[in-house]
Amino acid sequence: MFLCLFLFSCKKDWLQRESKSLILEEQVWNDPKQITSLLANFYDRLPSDIGLTDLTDPSDGRYSDGRYTQWRNMADYDEGMWSGQSNQDGRNNLTSYATDRWLLWNYSLVRDINLTIENIEKLGTALDAPTKLQFTSELRFLRAFNYFQLVKRMGGVPIITNQLIYDYSGEASSLRHPRNKEAEVYNFIDSELEAIKNTLGNVSTNSNPPAASNSRANKYTALALKSRAMLYAASIAKYNALLTPSLTTAGGEVGIPAAMANGYYQKSLDASLELINSGVFSLSANPANPALGFYEAVTKKSGNKEVIFVKDFLTAKDKRHNFSYDNIARGIREDNLSSSSISPSLNLVEASDFLDGSPGVLKNKLPNNSDYIYYDNPGDIFQNKDGRTGGTILYPGSSFKGSTIEMLAGVMVWNGSTYQVVEGTQLGAVWGGAAYPTGDGKLLTGSSGPHRTIQEVSNTGFYLRKYIDEASLSSTRGVRSDIWWVWFRLGEIYMNATEAAFELGQTSVALTHINKLRERAGFPANSLTTLTLDKIISERWVELAFEDHRLWDLIRLRKAHTTWTGVSSNPASVVSALYPYRIIRPGDAARNGKYVFEKITAPRFRAPRFFQMQNYYTFIPQNIIDNNPLIVRNPLQ
Amino acid sequence: MKYIINCLACLLLVFITGCSKDNKDAPNATINGKVVFENQPLGLRSNGVQLELWQPGYQLFSKIPVHIDQDGTFSAQVYDGSYRLTMLRGSGPWADKTDSIVVDVKGTASIDFPVDPFFVIKNANFVKAGNNINATFNLQRVNTTKNLELVRIYVGQTIITDQTNNAGTAQKAAAVITDLSQPVTLTVPVPSSLSAKDFVFVRVGVKTVGVAELLYSLPVKIAMK
Repeated sequence: MFLCLFLFSCKKDWLQRESKSLILEEQVWNDPKQITSLLANFYDRLPSDIGLTDLTDPSDGRYSDGRYTQWRNMADYDEGMWSGQSNQDGRNNLTSYATDRWLLWNYSLVRDINLTIENIEKLGTALDAPTKLQFTSELRFLRAFNYFQLVKRMGGVPIITNQLIYDYSGEASSLRHPRNKEAEVYNFIDSELEAIKNTLGNVSTNSNPPAASNSRANKYTALALKSRAMLYAASIAKYNALLTPSLTTAGGEVGIPAAMANGYYQKSLDASLELINSGVFSLSANPANPALGFYEAVTKKSGNKEVIFVKDFLTAKDKRHNFSYDNIARGIREDNLSSSSISPSLNLVEASDFLDGSPGVLKNKLPNNSDYIYYDNPGDIFQNKDGRTGGTILYPGSSFKGSTIEMLAGVMVWNGSTYQVVEGTQLGAVWGGAAYPTGDGKLLTGSSGPHRTIQEVSNTGFYLRKYIDEASLSSTRGVRSDIWWVWFRLGEIYMNATEAAFELGQTSVALTHINKLRERAGFPANSLTTLTLDKIISERWVELAFEDHRLWDLIRLRKAHTTWTGVSSNPASVVSALYPYRIIRPGDAARNGKYVFEKITAPRFRAPRFFQMQNYYTFIPQNIIDNNPLIVRNPLQ
Repeated sequence: MKYIINCLACLLLVFITGCSKDNKDAPNATINGKVVFENQPLGLRSNGVQLELWQPGYQLFSKIPVHIDQDGTFSAQVYDGSYRLTMLRGSGPWADKTDSIVVDVKGTASIDFPVDPFFVIKNANFVKAGNNINATFNLQRVNTTKNLELVRIYVGQTIITDQTNNAGTAQKAAAVITDLSQPVTLTVPVPSSLSAKDFVFVRVGVKTVGVAELLYSLPVKIAMK
């Protein structure tokens, strides 16, 4: 007994041991590794309207922490439509956009960031000052990024920069904050980015030019966000007053005074030029094959000098997505299900010019409409098209992953006076055999369609190429893809510089930048000599299609309600398709066996896109107003 | 077994008796009304323009949106009580006004909601001439704070014919309409999709600069045969 006492009583605090399963606050905020993994969580929670993943909460359409990226939304505007499984056909039948469609109120993320900033300051005593400063800067970047996502959807929102802590007094009204002005939120983003851009780190200066991280925020990421956010503020200031003067609130929560436009344009231009002139990034190009060069500029991960900030995925760490599985062209899919869900529209294809500078409307009929134009090969109609078209989409005759995309909608048989159209009932059908005894035994319907009714085959005659993985088996559910999502790339910064310079009257600066992008796409040098805003909008669309820009560009320029008018006779509201047919006309060597193209409204597309005035600012939900009566409603709410 | 039957019997009892308690009756009072200018109802776009109904006196309250039909009428099903009817700012083709109208509802209530439009269409007259429809009408400028942008004629297959639902339109810009004291004429060809029908509906609309919604004449049915 005594022996026992002597043996064990010596060690002090023997019963006080460190927990193996709990981490204390002091341990978290003093350990750079743990703070970094917390940062990874915050990066992952940045919201976007479209993305590569499939994060939708079944109850209200968004995760409670605001995490929200939904690739299917690519089918909801005019870039494309839904050709996948028919249970999502509602995307082709949106009679109008819901007033809460773009709702975002993710103060849970703002609070987590504020909490982290405050705790690093208070409890991170073992961190050295530069580390602390870098972490704090990075967190402030994430917060600014999130406020940008909020303000572009909701208008001015309350700017909260510290934790709001309830004191259990029974009176919570001190925690209520009114909405800030829309301009104040943009100014907050601007001042935050200016304050932190030189302390963000994440740039390696060992090389010349320095190499910047493209998955963590750094000086150039901050400049890119500033370039975009200031452009948004400027165009809202200018075009809200001009085109939609009723979209304001008395307190300025919505609506930026028109007088502020030029200041914002200048800030955007300065940030764009600083980023472009830094030399850290360069437009990646492939003059021999502009389409491949453009595809790789967005999608290729190794040695990419164009992307500035991405949401990265990595197969080795099992951070993967199904985007390629869901969207690869039907004829070259590697799995036995899915494919072809998003099919790009003819609208997008025709938005890009021909390389000789002529407008990009595809020539399928003679100018007087009397007859078709007969092409030797299905791909010939796309000859000399802007390289970005071939880099963004796959059209009949394109090759991808070593295979040619075989597309044919049917045959047109000449009966002596007119063409009779025959379309197959299944993919890969043959014009011949028992079903068509008069046929020639050659192809009737391509292995990749297009087809009017079959699901998971293109309904528009085009397939997506951007963001589709070229790696073997990446379109299977077993392997999946780790292509990254691009938040910012240099191509956008060039477009931002173009637009800001154009609005400031510096047309030569604007032309320099837009022409560089067109050169990369295969145009000769200085292909544009004059500019209009509409030209900039369509070039921006061609450059940045499917990168979560089209909707926001039309909103900030107040063009959405005049573009998507909900009228089926307005071609801009309707997703159009291009169907290739083979001609059967024996005895007419100039036409027989050639290919013609028919432009139609995509058969599965039902309701024209309809963007109404109340869609410019998403309605604020009633429960938020109930909790905080200081929140004023948005216009038309 | 007996236990299960007992349980089921209990559940049945709950189902039978549970409903009547705590359940409120559905709203049984009706507010009917129309949007008027000089006692005349105004034509609008169906599902386009909204009024708001508020019931004060509760801690938490939200509006009851009241959508106006194409002929300027509206109705809402509510409980008896005192409500306030007000405009949704920027929603209709008229000047904003923050005053509200008190509506006391007991069973039914019928109200006229007077507005201050920018332009109204008077004496609209439609004539079929061959394959065209000719419209003649007068524009009256009421509230002069905003300017005329254009006038447009719509032809459609149903009585809901407007900016969004139509088969064919034609328009005249404000620059062409110099004298508002003179009647304005517009001609629209009947589209081929409608030319074989027994009848079509036509109406004209007037758009004010900076206002999204148009103000329309009431739809008129034109016999095609």
